Amino acid sequence: MPGKNILEMRGITIEFPGVKALDGVDFSLREGEIHSLLGENGAGKSTLIKCINGVNRKDSGTILLDGHEINPSGPNEAMTLGISTVFQEVNLCPNLSVAENIFVGRQPMKRGQIDWSEINRRAEELMSRFHLDIDVTRPLSYYSTAVQQMTAIARAVDVQAKILILDEPTSSLDENEVQLLFSVMRQLRDSGMGIIFITHFLDQIYAVSDRMTILRNGHLVGTYNIDELGKFELVTKMVGKDMDVIFSLKRANVPPDAPVMLKAEHIGDGSRIDDMSLTLRKGELVGFAGLLGSGRTETAEMLFGATRAVHGEIFVDGEKVSIRTPFDAIQAEEAFCPEDRKRDGIIGDLSIRENIMLAVQSRKGFMHPMTKQEQTELADKYIALLGIATPDCEKKAGELSGGNQQKVILARWMAASPKVLILDEPTRGIDIGAKAEIQRLMLEMCGEGVSVIFISSELDEIIRCSNRIVIMRDRAKVAEVDGASCTQQDILRIIAEGAA
Amino acid sequence: MKNRQTLLTRITNPKYIMVYATIGIFLVIYAAGGFLYGDKGFLTVRTFVNLFIDNAYFGISAVGMTMVLITGGIDLSVGAVASLTGMFIAYGTTVLHLHPLTCIAAALVMGVGLGLLMGWVIHYLNVPAFITTLTGMFLARGVCSLISRESIDIHHPMIDALAGWKIYLMKFADGKWVRIRPIAFVNFNVLLFLVMIIIGAFILQRTRFGRNIYAIGGNEQSASLMGLPVGRTKVLVYGFNGLCSVLAGISYALYVKSGWNLSLQGGELEVITCAVIGGTLLTGGVGYMIGTLFGVLLKSVIPALITFNGNLLSWWGKIATGLLLLLFICIQRFVVTSTGRRKGQ
Repeated sequence: MPGKNILEMRGITIEFPGVKALDGVDFSLREGEIHSLLGENGAGKSTLIKCINGVNRKDSGTILLDGHEINPSGPNEAMTLGISTVFQEVNLCPNLSVAENIFVGRQPMKRGQIDWSEINRRAEELMSRFHLDIDVTRPLSYYSTAVQQMTAIARAVDVQAKILILDEPTSSLDENEVQLLFSVMRQLRDSGMGIIFITHFLDQIYAVSDRMTILRNGHLVGTYNIDELGKFELVTKMVGKDMDVIFSLKRANVPPDAPVMLKAEHIGDGSRIDDMSLTLRKGELVGFAGLLGSGRTETAEMLFGATRAVHGEIFVDGEKVSIRTPFDAIQAEEAFCPEDRKRDGIIGDLSIRENIMLAVQSRKGFMHPMTKQEQTELADKYIALLGIATPDCEKKAGELSGGNQQKVILARWMAASPKVLILDEPTRGIDIGAKAEIQRLMLEMCGEGVSVIFISSELDEIIRCSNRIVIMRDRAKVAEVDGASCTQQDILRIIAEGAA
Repeated sequence: MKNRQTLLTRITNPKYIMVYATIGIFLVIYAAGGFLYGDKGFLTVRTFVNLFIDNAYFGISAVGMTMVLITGGIDLSVGAVASLTGMFIAYGTTVLHLHPLTCIAAALVMGVGLGLLMGWVIHYLNVPAFITTLTGMFLARGVCSLISRESIDIHHPMIDALAGWKIYLMKFADGKWVRIRPIAFVNFNVLLFLVMIIIGAFILQRTRFGRNIYAIGGNEQSASLMGLPVGRTKVLVYGFNGLCSVLAGISYALYVKSGWNLSLQGGELEVITCAVIGGTLLTGGVGYMIGTLFGVLLKSVIPALITFNGNLLSWWGKIATGLLLLLFICIQRFVVTSTGRRKGQ
């Protein structure tokens, strides 16, 4: 039985300089439901959330909480109204204990002092509601991301929240942890809480939510019951025309006599990878498939000199090269987009232009600086080419969405016109439209003669794009299959059982 | 296996590693000293109490410094502010013939005010603590020299009484209390130091203000998203540290009974050293008053050892302190990375 609406938003419009982030969006949340909020990056999900929890102010529209109009001026005020948010990145203090993270700022006091035993007792009680039997006095950093996430939820719930907003809580959890989170979510729902759930994983939406609301480009597409809409229809509604891009992607065409661009023979780093060999032809795209920790990233890092290969030989364009540091690799015209773009790729405080210039400048050497005008021209060219959503090239890269940051990194290496491009999980954590875009760009670069190594956990995109697929398992290559003729099942079987 | 809290898990809680390391190393060095110079009286109560007497002013300042470091900040002005306090008292009593309490009141206004101001600049103007407090240091040191460039002796009945006041340590023998031999006593400075340690520990462990200090050091952005009063806390921490600097200055004035514009140069670094070898993380978020107490003892036991040896140059003390600091920074690095790894980052 559907409960009454606890939250109603009508005609919400928010404008940022140059963009309408939300345009007359309606949204409602019932008591005791899990409501998924869907849309591509930049569709306005985060903006809508931030409007509810008071981070952003709306330009027009009304928000009703239990029938009364509210206008929270910040997360604190929203919290006192009963609206709690758990962000994707756990916003807690790693040095404090689990218990303290739940209660800091509103610790129970006794005789003018903090009542520690009460804090620990109540924290234990809360965590055991989530079936977590842990020592709550240990520092938060001692526990896994899942426990940290639960702690954040426990903190949110303990302030007597009526509405809980979960912004991508599952992106760094493993399967068991996700199930644990879901059971907690259901428990909270059954106790009458309204939960807004944001995720990029379609399966999770169907596993846990009751209704969903889809946004696209700041507009409301619609609100549906979960059994009303199949996955395919859902994706089509989310991305609009972008679906066509995915289906129109074509593998790179590599003639059998194309020259070998990159060749690694029996390389190993002495600890993690022992013996790895690989060839990559001009204009070819080789996919690395395998589970997390199977050695995909380690191999890529060795090829780029981020970790040193202690034995084996690497040839680029037929010449034997010694790659000890990333600088050597850049000199050999290799390029590498690391897995964790926030940490290893994007320099958030620099502008888009400066981020794009990094590799070019490194190649040219610092004795030959480019003029500001040349830089701007180059940056503008790639912004247009890659469709990076930004008012101009001087915006700080850290302020872009995940998909756009990824495009900036791609632009950085495209501008350096490498012979070999290594992409480690370039599509992780970005939405389907941006994924399709990145894949299209990859294949276009192959068409221009760049050889690409593409690492991804999503088999369908590996199969869709790769000429050949290297399958890794337990830190070694177990098989190499043809991209055109293999199926997901083939690859999964090899990953599970080793080479036939 | 139950993961609930037991006495054992409470003791082995990883957050105490650094404190254990400090206490452990102190005990090892102290025991080594006892082994080498036990016959010269290294293990007597007197030697132990002298560790406190000779370093109380550093210890008092280290109480405030520990809090500043836990927030992830730093304060380089403490030595100069303490020195300026000494100048206030010396110049005020000897030259201007003011009552020492008047001078101390003025010093408190100056020290706490400067601390609050620096805290405000650091948080609200977003200027790095290093730069802000460096400015504070030059400012205070400059005023010291403005007041006088000569050392001024302090002669005042109240100061003399306070500096001379002592409690002899007694033992019960043959039915009456007698002074222990060799004679050992606790003076005002030592009491002030211990009281400040207790006050500091209470603030850090038992008040919301203290817990906010830890939260800010753990992750300032999270702390403000959790609704904690980040700005107010930081400003007050620097203010409290200013208070500690003034008290350290008073304590030092009682110790040397004079004021000199160049006294306690580099004192801020000694104070930071005490806190760091006491297990306070320079990156913030971790630190305990009990650790700082042992940090002060650890730093002061080294010169004591050199004195007992009699043949070594006192510079060996600096070298040993340097090595000790290096060791602790390495341990910290190790502890931080090994606990950070668990998150899979």
